Amino acid sequence: MTKNERKQFSIKEDFSMLALLIIPVGVAVNFVGGQLASLLRLPLYLDTIGTIFVAMLCGPWVGAITGLLTNILTGIANPVNFAFIPVAIIAGLVTGAFARHDYFSVWWKWLIAMVVMGAASILSAAPIVVLMFGGVTGSGASLITATFMAAGANIWGAFIGTEGLFNVLDRIISVLICLAVIKVIPNRNLIKFSCGMFYVKDREEIAEVTE
Amino acid sequence: MEKTFTEKIQINKRNKIAGLYPATKLQIVILFSISTLIINSIKLTDAKLALLLIPWFALVPFMFAITGEFKKSMKSMKPIFVVAIFIIAVQTFIVSGGQTLWHWHFLSIREKGLQTAISLGFLVLNIAGMFTWMLQSTSTKEISRCFEESGMNFKVAYIFTSSLEMIKVFSKRSQTILDAQRSRGVETEGNLKVRAKAFFPTIVPLILGGIIGSEDRVLTLEARGFSIKGEHTHLFDLKKSGYERRMLVVSIIITLLIIAGRISLWRMK
Repeated sequence: MTKNERKQFSIKEDFSMLALLIIPVGVAVNFVGGQLASLLRLPLYLDTIGTIFVAMLCGPWVGAITGLLTNILTGIANPVNFAFIPVAIIAGLVTGAFARHDYFSVWWKWLIAMVVMGAASILSAAPIVVLMFGGVTGSGASLITATFMAAGANIWGAFIGTEGLFNVLDRIISVLICLAVIKVIPNRNLIKFSCGMFYVKDREEIAEVTE
Repeated sequence: MEKTFTEKIQINKRNKIAGLYPATKLQIVILFSISTLIINSIKLTDAKLALLLIPWFALVPFMFAITGEFKKSMKSMKPIFVVAIFIIAVQTFIVSGGQTLWHWHFLSIREKGLQTAISLGFLVLNIAGMFTWMLQSTSTKEISRCFEESGMNFKVAYIFTSSLEMIKVFSKRSQTILDAQRSRGVETEGNLKVRAKAFFPTIVPLILGGIIGSEDRVLTLEARGFSIKGEHTHLFDLKKSGYERRMLVVSIIITLLIIAGRISLWRMK
């Protein structure tokens, strides 16, 4: 692919056989990431690494399905997760949209992407947590939110203030992990994914040769 | 006589309620959720509390009991109880507004806080509880087969079952990787910085392994004619228990009675 021509994306092409098989991998990575984070007693959830990874490689639609499926499956054990399905879908969509526009190859671009991703997740989670659960969900950060609420802070402000910081941090770490993984995937595997060519190593050289 | 493989993988439930068709169970859960929301709108006592939600919750353990999986289901209700108790505690003591009903040192219960506490807490308990009933009494094999029978693409059903398998495989693999990293000196105990450092060398190989392995799985599936056009055959058959109609009629009647009760309450005012 030369620099001048832009790739056309289509939903049907997005859901290739390989993309279909990468969804379960994303779901499992989400699950294990969250498990590992609590095993190592880290203060972050880190349970969207898989969704972000799939969205970075296969675009927004496949990413959204990964998020949806993760929450459906974790919902089987704890139906509270069903309420957060929209958050998971939006995480996939936003990341995928950035990936489509090649936002993860230059450092200042992915910095912007991370902040927007963090903001999107907190803004989509806030109405659910505040209106359905009254501001607390029983997680560690909820305790801080509850303290702020007790001190007289507005419920929306208390939630967005505490969870906002954790969310942006969560996204930064998740994207860094995904970039680290993508860096070591061989080119021949990368080009099989619909957004994979953005991460191909030595892009310029390859473009010159193919021209 | 020894059973064949196809006979072995069939699910035969003796309990008629547990063996309900998965789609019927979902319909019952939806009707129950609608009823719960209607009951939530009925406020009792001067403080306007949705107290009726509390006896309504008795239906959840009742359903667990008639399904014959009371203990197992109650066990999986644990995380939901935690969330509900948390919600009730926070709302009761923290949200201000309205009259003060009870006061002790720094703790005080306000009218508005108690209102949201009871209605939010029990809404979560009721609706999540009924979902627990549905999901605990249905195996994932049945759910994915039901997806297919209700006209969804077979690929959806495949992704669903495959994800569940993948979670098991990855959990095991992450343990192996963690052990391997420990044995070569990566520390997993200690302060936050040390523990955070252990996260990266565990998750990166895990994702990488998954990506590289998925190519092989594409070949394996294609070799078995996965994306072939034409009718697919199944080894596992979904059976109906024969109680679908009865259970659905009972749920519809209860829902209608609750709606009627709500409307007559409006009239009385």
